[in-house]
Amino acid sequence: MSAEVGRRSKRSASPSFRPRLPNTRAVSLSLYVVRRVLWMIPVIFFVVLITFVLMHLAPGSPWDKGGGRQLSQSVVRNLNIKYGLDKPVWQQFLLYVWNAAHFDFGLSYQYEGKTVASLILGGWPYTFTIGALAFCLVVPIGIGLGVLAALRQNTRTDYLTMTFATFGASFPNFVVGMLMIIVFGVLAYNVSGGNVSLPVTGFGLDDHLIMPVITLALLPTAYIARLTRASTLDTLRQEYVRTAWAKGLSERLVVLRHILRNSLIPVATALGPTFALLITGSVIVETVFAIPGIGRSFVTAVESRDYPMILGTTILFSVVIALANLVVDILYVFIDPRVRLD
Amino acid sequence: MHRSMFDFRLGRVLAVGAAMATVAAACGSTPASGPSGAAPASQQVLSINDQTEPNSYDPGQETYTYEAAVGRNVFEPLLKPKADLSDVTGAAASGYTVSSDGLTYTFHIRSNANWSDGKPVTGSDFVYGWKRLLNPALAAGYVDPFFDTNVAGAADYGKVDATNATAIDAFLSGLGLSAPNSKTFVVKLQHPAAYFKWVATLWVGAPIRQDVVESAAGGSFPSSDATKAEAWASNASTIIGNGPFKISAIVPKDHVTLVPNTHYWAGTAAIKQLTYDFIPDANTAFAKYRTGALDIINVQGANVTVVRNDPKLSKQAKLIPRLTAFWMAYNTKRSPLNNQDVRMALAKAIDRNQLTQDVLHGTDKPLTSFLPKGMLGYDNSDNAQSFDAAAAKQLLQKSGVSVADLNKMKLLTRNTTTNQTVNQFIIQQWKTNLGLDIQLNVIDSKTVTKMIRAGNFDIYGPDGWGADYPDPQDWADIFQSGSCHALNWGCPTLPGYDALVQKADASQSASSRLADYKTAQKQLIDTAAVGFLYQQYEYDLIQPWVTNMSITPIDDEYVPGDFYYQGVYIKKH
Repeated sequence: MSAEVGRRSKRSASPSFRPRLPNTRAVSLSLYVVRRVLWMIPVIFFVVLITFVLMHLAPGSPWDKGGGRQLSQSVVRNLNIKYGLDKPVWQQFLLYVWNAAHFDFGLSYQYEGKTVASLILGGWPYTFTIGALAFCLVVPIGIGLGVLAALRQNTRTDYLTMTFATFGASFPNFVVGMLMIIVFGVLAYNVSGGNVSLPVTGFGLDDHLIMPVITLALLPTAYIARLTRASTLDTLRQEYVRTAWAKGLSERLVVLRHILRNSLIPVATALGPTFALLITGSVIVETVFAIPGIGRSFVTAVESRDYPMILGTTILFSVVIALANLVVDILYVFIDPRVRLD
Repeated sequence: MHRSMFDFRLGRVLAVGAAMATVAAACGSTPASGPSGAAPASQQVLSINDQTEPNSYDPGQETYTYEAAVGRNVFEPLLKPKADLSDVTGAAASGYTVSSDGLTYTFHIRSNANWSDGKPVTGSDFVYGWKRLLNPALAAGYVDPFFDTNVAGAADYGKVDATNATAIDAFLSGLGLSAPNSKTFVVKLQHPAAYFKWVATLWVGAPIRQDVVESAAGGSFPSSDATKAEAWASNASTIIGNGPFKISAIVPKDHVTLVPNTHYWAGTAAIKQLTYDFIPDANTAFAKYRTGALDIINVQGANVTVVRNDPKLSKQAKLIPRLTAFWMAYNTKRSPLNNQDVRMALAKAIDRNQLTQDVLHGTDKPLTSFLPKGMLGYDNSDNAQSFDAAAAKQLLQKSGVSVADLNKMKLLTRNTTTNQTVNQFIIQQWKTNLGLDIQLNVIDSKTVTKMIRAGNFDIYGPDGWGADYPDPQDWADIFQSGSCHALNWGCPTLPGYDALVQKADASQSASSRLADYKTAQKQLIDTAAVGFLYQQYEYDLIQPWVTNMSITPIDDEYVPGDFYYQGVYIKKH
């Protein structure tokens, strides 16, 4: 589905490196952002084109039922007229692009009389909230555990941390989610006589968030922890780190200024797509906890060949991923002074 | 995420004549304070897991059981099934009369039938609702029972220019629908159809208020405009219905909440808040039920065993028969499946007891006839397809078809877990009992639909049918030759079948209809037109405080008792 994952414009350790005046740098950064945002237009056009073609190549029409009685030919004919599917495919494509350029993403085939835009805007706040909160767990815990494990390599701390990371990466979401529901929902309810338990389903800006956010955060936290550990270990062996120690700098200074700043570059690269994936939703977490987000609706849209809904969600995903990558690229400038954007 | 192996448009069924307390519609006497023993009004809350969000709250656009389950409580059609399914009973209409030629149905609308805003329900509201349903521009998915030879003038439904308002208006004004006075609704039929009273029980045949639709659309609009026509149906405040409840809140993908319609003709319901949750995962719903936050859920798969072994939960479980049956479809246009002995051998080689006990968690029941138990016309006396490994082997030898030829056949199925396990068992049975080695072909659901529509398969299953209404016509019509590649995929050749079924469909004599449908059923069994497998049963949990449920054989899937929620109350607990 998506656009330029991991696209970077890092010019590392260029010999022509020279410091710039801050205002020049701000101007070049703004120009860079504008250029990148403009580039998103052709990227999204091709994403739409590819999705459109694949969608129409997939067998089955939106009106085929999953089983049992099928719609009669007369009804199928009238549905095709109603949603413009009686026109040639190239005409449908041009019409879609024209409308989408005017921010009209059409009517959903599944939900009678609902626009794709209203369905996405209705569900995204839930998905975004849970994803963003999960990201707030992923960054400090993932990076913290990774650095800790690297600094205490081959000690009990390291082994414990990496055991957690391995479990976190290997337990599927639906198992973790269901286990949490059974323990903190059902068991806690029965043991406390109904006084203390977490709500099993739904969305709310309260204890409803606890289980889904933790479940969603687990895998990326484990991934970021492992990545941070590996990259920190790599940095620890660099000569400038040895020099820093030799100069007699405090551990705090060495870790923060010399090790972290360098070891975080690959982590930052991974955090962009991670953020994009988290805020666009997980079908599994949304299904297990019955959260009315858009991760689930994308899958049902694909299953039922709800073409406008598939396209609308794909466009949203590509914009989010492209923007997340752009933010990462800008962050490089601040993390790594050698990086220039031009 | 699908409700079951098959998405039936309607469904649910039979409570083996457990002829539930006939609280029935007569609950008009329920005092405002609630029945004695009832919990206080603040606790009169009934929460059900409906699993999937309705795609629309316009009854005419609802095609699935999870939509009808909500729709029939908000909008009330003319008639409804009696709890024991023996006949129809009055709903918005107190009754009906049929002309002697069987072509004119006159429905008498109750004098006290009211909309949720207090206005009286009129014959014109039904005329408007039914014309909306038959408007080709709106492309209602469940319209077939209304134009398939039924409503006079509707035969051209599939030919009208659906983009041309003038053509649509001409078509609609030619329909045999009229309201001679405010409390009468008259339907003229194309042909006599004894089952039409059942069509009048379908939730899609609800009345709709023209003034509500037009005010939500910002004035009157051309009949070709589908967007304006649906504007009223996504907003709780503009969904004015005539059912026992009205929608008070819609939370997309999460739940919909109903409250009593205080103007309902049979009185205000005891339940003060009726909530349909849309929890897709059966395990999650089960967990929520165990915290008491859901009152009615369906139990699936391994959880069936958990419930059975739990002393407390097992007392809350209900095994509810459904008017849904499954079978194997043979492509009778292909050799060697055009050979009746081969088809019968395959059918007789499957041990359905083992299938339902070991593979299907002991909830579904074996079925070797066509109409499921609970339907008018159910008859399991014909043993032709019953399990008999020795007889199956003999039949295969008699057919003269070689094992090598049969091994070229493939068994096509949809990619759900249940379908795969059922078919792996069947393939194993054919191997053990007939020495066959047939390959299983598991493909995604939409592709399978495309293949079977084109007749591009050897054996396909489990295929099945869920009753739209409990009249045998709804089932027998499937195997008419005109339904080949539309409702039945194997297209069996059945001499005399069409004429027999058409005669039964039109006949006004209940006894001769029944006899004819039984003859037709026997022909399907004896020629092994398909290989019958099992009848679906639903395993549900209902909290002990839910009182006065009237579970009928045709309730919507996973929403037991939904025809009669008006009489349900929560007792003190």
